[in-house]
Amino acid sequence: MKLAIRNAHIVNHDKKIRGDILIHNNRIETVGEVREKVDKEIDAQGKYVLPGFIDLHTHLRSPGREDTEDLYSGSRAAAKGGFTTIFCMPNTTPALDNEGLAQWITEQARSIGLVDIYPVGAISKGRQGKELTEFGGLKKAGCLSLSDDGDSLKNSSLMRRAIEYAKMFGLLIISHCEDKTLSAGGVMREGAISSKYGIRGIPCASEAIMVFRDIELTRYLNARIHIAHISTQRSVEIIRAAKAQGVNVTCETAPHYMILTDHDVEANNFHGNWKVNPPLGSHEDRAALTRALAEGVIDCIATDHAPHSEEEKNLPFEEAPCGFIGLEWAFALSYTGLVKKKVLTLGQLVEKMSYNPARIAGFSDKGYIRPENTADMVIVDLDCPEKIERTDIVSKSKNSPFLGREVQAKVVCTIHQGKVVYRAG
Amino acid sequence: MEPWQKKHILGIKDLTREEMETIFKIAHSFRELSQREVKKAPALRGKTIVNLFFENSTRTKISFELAGKRLSADVLNFSSNMSSLNKGETIVDTIKNLESYHPDILVIRIGYSHSLINLSQYTSASIVNAGDGSNEHPTQCLLDMFTVQQEKGALEDLRVLIVGDIMHSRVARSNIFGFQKFNSRVSVCAPPTLIPYDFEKLGVEIHDDLDQALKEADVVIMLRIQKERQQESFFPSIREYVENFSLTPERLKKAKKDCLILHPGPVNWDVEISSQLKEIVHPLILKQVENGLAVRMAVLYLVGTRKREYEISD
Repeated sequence: MKLAIRNAHIVNHDKKIRGDILIHNNRIETVGEVREKVDKEIDAQGKYVLPGFIDLHTHLRSPGREDTEDLYSGSRAAAKGGFTTIFCMPNTTPALDNEGLAQWITEQARSIGLVDIYPVGAISKGRQGKELTEFGGLKKAGCLSLSDDGDSLKNSSLMRRAIEYAKMFGLLIISHCEDKTLSAGGVMREGAISSKYGIRGIPCASEAIMVFRDIELTRYLNARIHIAHISTQRSVEIIRAAKAQGVNVTCETAPHYMILTDHDVEANNFHGNWKVNPPLGSHEDRAALTRALAEGVIDCIATDHAPHSEEEKNLPFEEAPCGFIGLEWAFALSYTGLVKKKVLTLGQLVEKMSYNPARIAGFSDKGYIRPENTADMVIVDLDCPEKIERTDIVSKSKNSPFLGREVQAKVVCTIHQGKVVYRAG
Repeated sequence: MEPWQKKHILGIKDLTREEMETIFKIAHSFRELSQREVKKAPALRGKTIVNLFFENSTRTKISFELAGKRLSADVLNFSSNMSSLNKGETIVDTIKNLESYHPDILVIRIGYSHSLINLSQYTSASIVNAGDGSNEHPTQCLLDMFTVQQEKGALEDLRVLIVGDIMHSRVARSNIFGFQKFNSRVSVCAPPTLIPYDFEKLGVEIHDDLDQALKEADVVIMLRIQKERQQESFFPSIREYVENFSLTPERLKKAKKDCLILHPGPVNWDVEISSQLKEIVHPLILKQVENGLAVRMAVLYLVGTRKREYEISD
């Protein structure tokens, strides 16, 4: 099976060319000019072809909460958003903390076949923060990374062991940084707005303290670590300093932290749709995060796709669960909010959504459009204003703070392993 | 007076100074009504008011209940501890349920801060906030200010001091917004652990020395302290709190002679206020209770007869 994409703007993080791409089965064969006859052609005139996006941070809710998302609906949402590889977090019920469950996810994902799904194994059994899981078994079952996402390991000694022990298997530790003794009871960022309404706040120090702890452990053990969804200016400063000192730390942030702030929570009357953890920050945080992204202190954009039922999101703000869906519009929102506003170039956005996540996860054949790499790519239209509508959502979760927002770009086609897995209707 | 427009009374934040003045005017006439032999007016005859209390309350509930009854409304009481409900979804279900009876006004007390605006979409009734979490307690502020207006003659250019658990107090927040609308200066005095983060951005002065803070105050609002706060380490002991933040005869000497001492009640005597001051401060605190009834009657009357010209002349 040979597929050609013709007349495209081909954008890698470091290079833009115009030309064709020839895909042979699941591999890229040629980038440049394709003269030979093929089985199928896609005319990408006026469109841009980027390496398929890689999301290091999603929640697919399976097993346990399949009413809000499952591996199939999550795969569809990913493909619609241009993602060809996603990592699903282990805060499921039961927790994804053993080889059998990880194997089940890997096999399910393969049989669905829309995108690659890599389970992120739990660091501690039951995500209880007490005993380590079997890292070796999780690796055998397809895990490339481990996290107790949603919880920080309170026990610093256990975190130390996890970072050390993971080295043996080359597993990436992804850390959700939150000092829960500081954030307990908090539902939004602590600041003038939370104080004005008497809503219990989460101090930004709760993230920064754990970022610092985990970086310090990583430095001490000469290991590496990836910090999940950073949301504060202080975290940026700590990571910047650590990188300058040569600590092997990478990090991600999510589109919502670069677009929304706690002012949006207030403007929307504290509806549960604006509740997320870590919470939306101040204007200063947002500015610091976008700057850090442009400067390379923040390596990548992850969605933290976190589906919840509408019933739950309509609860009073203090009771509503945290999280937004993110897969379907991550690119459109990031392009509109960052590239259109000249914070990032298109190449830099590709770096944040494809190239860097591939490097961090350890893929040598993804994240870049070149011969012999996996044929994972996404075709986007960069001049296609559209409104984010509830009826367009394919995730099972139909709520988002971005409903009604206008974006300037659109994913028109997603190719995974050489197969078209999504085409805009 | 302009006809009343506001459908809900959710917080002092949303009221204009003019609207507050209207409430005080109407409250004034209802105060007189309660002193008559027949303490009833037909203003809300045929209207249904539901007191929906998701949090324990005796005083506020009684005050609202009597206010509704004195205006001839049918008053229903619904009390439910939030913890016994299955979280918030049943709150919505409860409101939708009551909607079947076509109530005109829901008086709601709830533990969730600033949650009423989102609940208002589930009912066609007016909502009156009887305290929502740590956000606001608008009728408490209105009765405090109504009392101050009676005692001082005016509400402008006063120095108001609020003492105690500012962080968890809806009374503090409503009073801050209320007095600020009348160009009065509001200060708060508490241990730093009980002052919300970045609170100076609300335009309040922050003190931790009660002796100093008392000196310039025209009005002092002493807040009730919840003893559980000690277990959460907001302060080490009631004893130490009392030592630093209790209003004692010695401290009161430092205040202006005509300084008013208010308390939303019920007072923990010898905690917020020394029992030696009972004779001096209790009469005004009881007057607050009386004014509370008048203010709540005014609020119910205004939202209950919205879009009609007033029958009461200036």
